[in-house]
Amino acid sequence: MTHAKGDTIVAAVAVPSDQTHVEFHVARRFGMTRKERRSLGIGLLFISPWLIGFFVFLLYPLLYTLRISFTRYSGLRDPVWIGWGNYERMFQDEMFWKSLYNTLYYTCLAVPIGVVVAMVLALAMNQPVREVGLYRALLYLPSVLPVFAVTFIYIALLDPNKGLVTRVWGSLGLPHINWLGDPQYMKIALVALAQLGAGQAALIFLAGLKGIPITLYEAAMLDGAGTWRKFWNITVPLMTPVILYDLILGLSVGLQVFTQAYIIAPDGGPGNALSFYVLHLYDNAFRYSQMGYASAMAWVLFIITVVLALVVFRWSRRWVHYETS
Amino acid sequence: MTHDRFDDLLRARINRRAALRGAAGLGVGAAALGGTGLRRLTSARQEKTPVTFWTTHVDPDLTVLKAIVASFNAENPDIEVTLTQLPPAEVTDVAKLMTAVRGGTGPDVYMLDRFIVAQRAADGLLTDLTDYLQGADLAETHVPFAAAEAQFDGGTYALPFDTDVRALYYNKGMLQEGGIDPAELDPANGPITYARLKEIAFALNKTEGDAYTQMGFVPYYNQGWHYGYGFSFGGDFFDEEACQVTPDDPKVVQAFQWVYDYAAEADPQKMQNFIQAAMKPGTPPQESPFIQGRLAMMLTGDWQIAQQPKYAPDMDYGITYIPVPEEGMESETWAGGWSMVMPEGAKEPEAAWTFMQYIAGEPGQRVYAKDTAHLPTILTLLEDKTLFDERHRFFSDELIPTANNRPPLPVGALYWDQLTDAWQKVYRNEEEPAEALAAVKETVQAQMDQFC
Repeated sequence: MTHAKGDTIVAAVAVPSDQTHVEFHVARRFGMTRKERRSLGIGLLFISPWLIGFFVFLLYPLLYTLRISFTRYSGLRDPVWIGWGNYERMFQDEMFWKSLYNTLYYTCLAVPIGVVVAMVLALAMNQPVREVGLYRALLYLPSVLPVFAVTFIYIALLDPNKGLVTRVWGSLGLPHINWLGDPQYMKIALVALAQLGAGQAALIFLAGLKGIPITLYEAAMLDGAGTWRKFWNITVPLMTPVILYDLILGLSVGLQVFTQAYIIAPDGGPGNALSFYVLHLYDNAFRYSQMGYASAMAWVLFIITVVLALVVFRWSRRWVHYETS
Repeated sequence: MTHDRFDDLLRARINRRAALRGAAGLGVGAAALGGTGLRRLTSARQEKTPVTFWTTHVDPDLTVLKAIVASFNAENPDIEVTLTQLPPAEVTDVAKLMTAVRGGTGPDVYMLDRFIVAQRAADGLLTDLTDYLQGADLAETHVPFAAAEAQFDGGTYALPFDTDVRALYYNKGMLQEGGIDPAELDPANGPITYARLKEIAFALNKTEGDAYTQMGFVPYYNQGWHYGYGFSFGGDFFDEEACQVTPDDPKVVQAFQWVYDYAAEADPQKMQNFIQAAMKPGTPPQESPFIQGRLAMMLTGDWQIAQQPKYAPDMDYGITYIPVPEEGMESETWAGGWSMVMPEGAKEPEAAWTFMQYIAGEPGQRVYAKDTAHLPTILTLLEDKTLFDERHRFFSDELIPTANNRPPLPVGALYWDQLTDAWQKVYRNEEEPAEALAAVKETVQAQMDQFC
């Protein structure tokens, strides 16, 4: 097994040239001229960094995890084939269900709230004022910061004894809440934390807003529509494709939530409230050396993500409005 | 010959020529580079063999480890040990080591919590050191449980480093202020009972609004671990004959029940709010509520002795036995400690072994025991009274000889984490002890079965 890494690299280097070769045959069949073939070859050469990256760092690990998901494998000794054993074990693993519940709970809250927050931010970024550039930069800033750094700041802000948020909250006469220590509120706190990264989505929303023809608003104004009316009848329908995009993207990011939880509660926190799916997967892989089981979990998560994405797509037919010219 | 073809040929020739020229240039360059590179390498090899050493330890221990490495380097001119500190994580998390070893970039020596040695050896992460030992028996030279923890499946996979024992620390000033005579806790009077501990602790709690500003005792803070309470109540965690883990031992359940009831009376959430910030891995010693004078009693190990003068020089404190469930019972404690292992794929195993023998041998253990107030695992050092001050002798003389240890199992990490999970549910009053511990048994035994 120790040679596996070297083998991979050799295989990967070989891949693009094979690929070129295949493309050549295809090209001849489709009647390409020599020149076209040559430029195809050069083109492929130019994207070879991506090709290598794709095959070595995505496709190969993907297929590799599929294989070892049917084995018992510590990561170092030879894998032992156990068939569907890992998949069957998931059904009896209490933590699997708990972490799946936590993850879905988090995603169901974080994603829709994320859409609303991103929309509000985008609208704010789109205001026709002179210093809008400054606002845009400020609103986007937290999204540039690495998640782990933001998380550490967040922990300090929410500290139950001396955190700024806790103090302000208390001075407003609201009941004392241990946001990062009480299982009842920990996931909510993480949903709120996720909103600090909403700038990313807001930028895409902003582009969507910019794409809406001004004439539509002018026409609506002539017909006497107010701000609210314009928002619901023009902005929202025309933004639905962007919202759909954000939902799908948010879904896959939300289901893979890891970093924040790992920093706040590497052991899953009280009552395992922050034991998310990928955290449980990580524990199995790197604490209990059960790479096979962890790989099986990864594949189940992949299937869950695909199914949910398909459901959202199907549902979107009812509400996404595509502009046809 | 069409123009196209001629063009191609020409280009090919140019290319070939250019390529040849380039290759020649490269060749010369490579030769030159190879020459100096090789020379530099061989001369380096003659001078120093590089050994990489990883630890997750933080200060104050880290400084001492660095000092030991420095003196080794000074004494061994042909070896250069480089110490790398990994960010602290949960004790069972070896993601960095695992991925590095798998990727061929692992260290030559790693400092591993000894109770996980069996699990990591079973994973195939560690080099079997049996041949290096050349027949030497660790059990003859080391504290027996420390030697046992280094074994897996008939092989020796670690050299025991330090050990440590837990005891009850108390802040005399805070006790007096709360109207309790600290003499009651003097070890000369033997251990107090858990019931009495609770009484004293609750008398010292102070509240402001709905938050504790001071507490007498938090059962699960610092070294207040599941294993410790289990041992203390007379419980067992593994039945070797039946090859069964036994977290559901009635005595262990009883121990968990005491903590459950304690939390219920103190209000589990309120207690958690008080202690949470201090419980993150890698929290610096000055953040400890005991050091800050906000917590009157805590369970911790002998290393605390070294931290007291540094972080709370003015505190008058005492150390006594871990309480007993009933008057007249023997106080039980438990010991752990670390070890030096050689991960699979170590690049300089010979030099690494030389270093391991030094740091885990007498020279290293002597310095570490003295400067960090951990205990050595080498028997002759344990008898060397000059290594320990008076307080420390309580640990080396009174506690170590009868200390319990965690069963060294190939599922040790999983067992620890599952117990921790149950432990948290219990001290947060989320689940009844019997129920939580039965779940631990089910999960861990399922994995243990493959080794039975």
